Amino acid sequence: MQKQIVKQFDGYADIVKKIEIAEKKGTDFAAQKGEVAACINKLHPARIPLRISRVITETPSTCTLRLKADNCRLPPFQAGQYITLFLDIGSIRTSRPYSISSSPGRTGYWDITIRRVKNGLVSTYLLEDVKEGDLLESSGPQGNFHFNPIIHAKTMVCLAGGSGITPFMSMLREITDGGLDRILYLFYGSKTMDDIIFHTEITRLAQQFSNIKYLPVIEEPAENKSCETGFITADLIRKTIGGGDDKSFFICGPQAMYDFCLPDLEKLGIPKNKIRREMFGAPLNISGYSGWPPKIKPDDFFEVNVKDKGVFKARADEPLLVALEKNNLAIPSLCRSGECSMCRIKILSGQVFQAPGALVRKSDRQFGYVHACVSYPIKDLTILL
Amino acid sequence: MAEYDAIVIGAGNGGLTAAATLAQRGVNVLLLERHNIPGGCATSFCRGRFEFEVSLHQLSGLGSVEKPGPLRATLDRLGIMDKLEFVQIQDLYRVIVPGQLDITLKPDLGGMIHELQKRFPHEKDGIFAYFDFLYKLFTQVIGVFYFKDPETSREKYPLYYQYALKTAGEVMNRFIHDPLLQAAVSPYWTYMGLPPKYMSIVDMAAMFFAYLEFKPYHLKGGSQTLSNALADTIINNGGTLRFNCGAEKIIVKQGAVQGVITDKGEEIAAKYVISNASKISTYTEMMDMDQVPGEVRAQIKQCTLSQSAFTLYMGLDCEPEAVGLTQSTNFILGGTDPENSYRRMRVRDINDEDSMVLSCYNLIDPDFSPRGTCQVAMVTLKYGDTWLNVPPAEYAGEKYRMADAMLKVAEKVFPDLRRHIEEIEIATPLTHLRYLGHPRGAIYGFDHHIQNSELFIPPQSSVKGLYSAGGWIGYNGYQPTLDSGVMAAKALLTDMKGKQEDFHAKTNRQTV
Repeated sequence: MQKQIVKQFDGYADIVKKIEIAEKKGTDFAAQKGEVAACINKLHPARIPLRISRVITETPSTCTLRLKADNCRLPPFQAGQYITLFLDIGSIRTSRPYSISSSPGRTGYWDITIRRVKNGLVSTYLLEDVKEGDLLESSGPQGNFHFNPIIHAKTMVCLAGGSGITPFMSMLREITDGGLDRILYLFYGSKTMDDIIFHTEITRLAQQFSNIKYLPVIEEPAENKSCETGFITADLIRKTIGGGDDKSFFICGPQAMYDFCLPDLEKLGIPKNKIRREMFGAPLNISGYSGWPPKIKPDDFFEVNVKDKGVFKARADEPLLVALEKNNLAIPSLCRSGECSMCRIKILSGQVFQAPGALVRKSDRQFGYVHACVSYPIKDLTILL
Repeated sequence: MAEYDAIVIGAGNGGLTAAATLAQRGVNVLLLERHNIPGGCATSFCRGRFEFEVSLHQLSGLGSVEKPGPLRATLDRLGIMDKLEFVQIQDLYRVIVPGQLDITLKPDLGGMIHELQKRFPHEKDGIFAYFDFLYKLFTQVIGVFYFKDPETSREKYPLYYQYALKTAGEVMNRFIHDPLLQAAVSPYWTYMGLPPKYMSIVDMAAMFFAYLEFKPYHLKGGSQTLSNALADTIINNGGTLRFNCGAEKIIVKQGAVQGVITDKGEEIAAKYVISNASKISTYTEMMDMDQVPGEVRAQIKQCTLSQSAFTLYMGLDCEPEAVGLTQSTNFILGGTDPENSYRRMRVRDINDEDSMVLSCYNLIDPDFSPRGTCQVAMVTLKYGDTWLNVPPAEYAGEKYRMADAMLKVAEKVFPDLRRHIEEIEIATPLTHLRYLGHPRGAIYGFDHHIQNSELFIPPQSSVKGLYSAGGWIGYNGYQPTLDSGVMAAKALLTDMKGKQEDFHAKTNRQTV
């Protein structure tokens, strides 16, 4: 119909002329084939092949893997961001996020620093089984735990616990490498002197650069008198930085550290919303969290029916994502801490317990979607991947 | 090999309504989506204690229960109305030309005209005549298009025949003259991408008519709620939804669709494909050139890519009023010359000559973000071309530089904005390119020049079994794209029914 009447519209002939010209002079979009993919690959490649170029022993329990791109350029990242390694270990396909510990200015390689986790499938594999020359595969850099000049003050107060030092190591190296005028206070809590990662390098940088202030804090008091002992407390922070105004706070470490440090920061008058905290994996003792149904024991098993794909039994205290991986039903995942939503699945029936703090969209809650990495079966389930 | 009756590529608005409509009619449909979540633009993301709405501004065409608009009926037929909660937006917009104009209009024809006449008494009659004209024109458009009058003629629809191919600029100039007044009544050009000089007057009339008659709406829970609800319709009606799986290739043989090859290399057979991907990737990436009909190649060639956008998604640690936000939709215009703002859209920079819109729906929906906070989205249109050459190492810095420049403009109107930002995410044309897969990050598909409209480019191609849905055919925005999917599904169903009847007719003949 339209084709017929449009010819009768005032100005039709003029438009036809315009079309004729446009058809002649127009864009040959076919010539731009591949442009979208190339653009995405430059900044956000989905998969990056990485060759282990060096294995650096940092402490008795910690190694750094230096990773170089295999036949491609590494995309840029912001200090504090992480990559996710995709791994096949035995019969299990899984993934792990690691903060990049090298400086964004070093564009030829990425360092990731791995501490051995007791009985840890992946840390054991990366510390014992892989060697220089091996090929790994990772995601592109991810995450929002980084300095943002729009909202962050130039003075950064960083609280690290254990292997939570890695994103700060990248920030610190960026500042010293690039001669940035940011001031960085680093409070770094470790169990023993031996556990401190990068101690020599940070000490040296703090001596060399007046805008880097380093305060290692050792949990075990008897051992050492040369540094602070105990925990990172409000008193210690106040003593070191003065007031909290015009400073931005970053915290990365195990859950116990958040539980201890957040109330102490509040004592300093720092509101929670001014503190950027990095995620640190799924909670280890989920059944100890408030809201966990008391009748359900951590080692209870429930049946998980994955629609059209299979049925298996899963432990109550094991994240569904891990149970899926153990049963050859790996799903995409990146942060494995409840934030990025890559492992979003739909619960068709049954019930899961979701770790507090998971960033689940309102409408996902309404329609039964959860993040499998921080969801635990507490009834028999039917799920849709 | 897996086989479906139909495969829908992409779970944007058009793909979702297409797949939902097909599933409702019992078609064995597979919906492929590259991402892990449905919606395309109609989605949200979480940062800290905020969930940011990506794209929904002022939903049009819904109407109230008492006075339903076309979209309400569409959503009802898709079986999702009872899962959605809508809130009527009380303002049409506040439009600000810093230092020159600051006026708020309500979505009510009489009230709006009155407010404009109060501010521009010297153009009192022109204001009335202009809107009277828009209404009369659009009433005729409705007769031709929505009621599908089988006997259209110049005598019956004189305004439409006369003005269908005219620009908003040339019509507006006949009625009103004060550049400030023109600026006050035309900021919606940024919802289409072309300034009044190039934008169709019918499109301008359609926007005012839709917003004034059926009012602008907000959806509680954001656009992801709509996408999730549509996904449920597909699942509950036996359709298959596959996330994290894109389409690499549409298999076409002798001008007819045979199936799809996924990005995992899996070949899936189907006689019908509805593509919700960009028209460019559908025809230049997913199909072999020799299978693309000549007229489609010509049609694409005559089109140009629309703008992308530069957007700040901000979570503020205060109520909207604390930074002076009193209206949900605020246009800050870069002067009274829209063509200058339009030219600026090709420049990778932001200053006070750029036009932008700043939205805050906490003013009508207190649940839009946690109590005591508010969520603000600030958008300006930018063509993506100049972003392609930004060296990767400089990309983050360029994002921050632009964000800072944009905030400087906003601070002229809302001085305390910056110090209240708790979370901020910056989206550039490359961000849109990445998530939408659209060339140059174009958010409105092709530029909406009159010669590129549906009057000259039919929405569907001559490839047998291939249909298109989404913002690359016809209009953009929620109402049109949601509709486009339903229309594509209906066209497919008609073809399918015809084939079945042919088949029955043939088999009947054979048995006889």
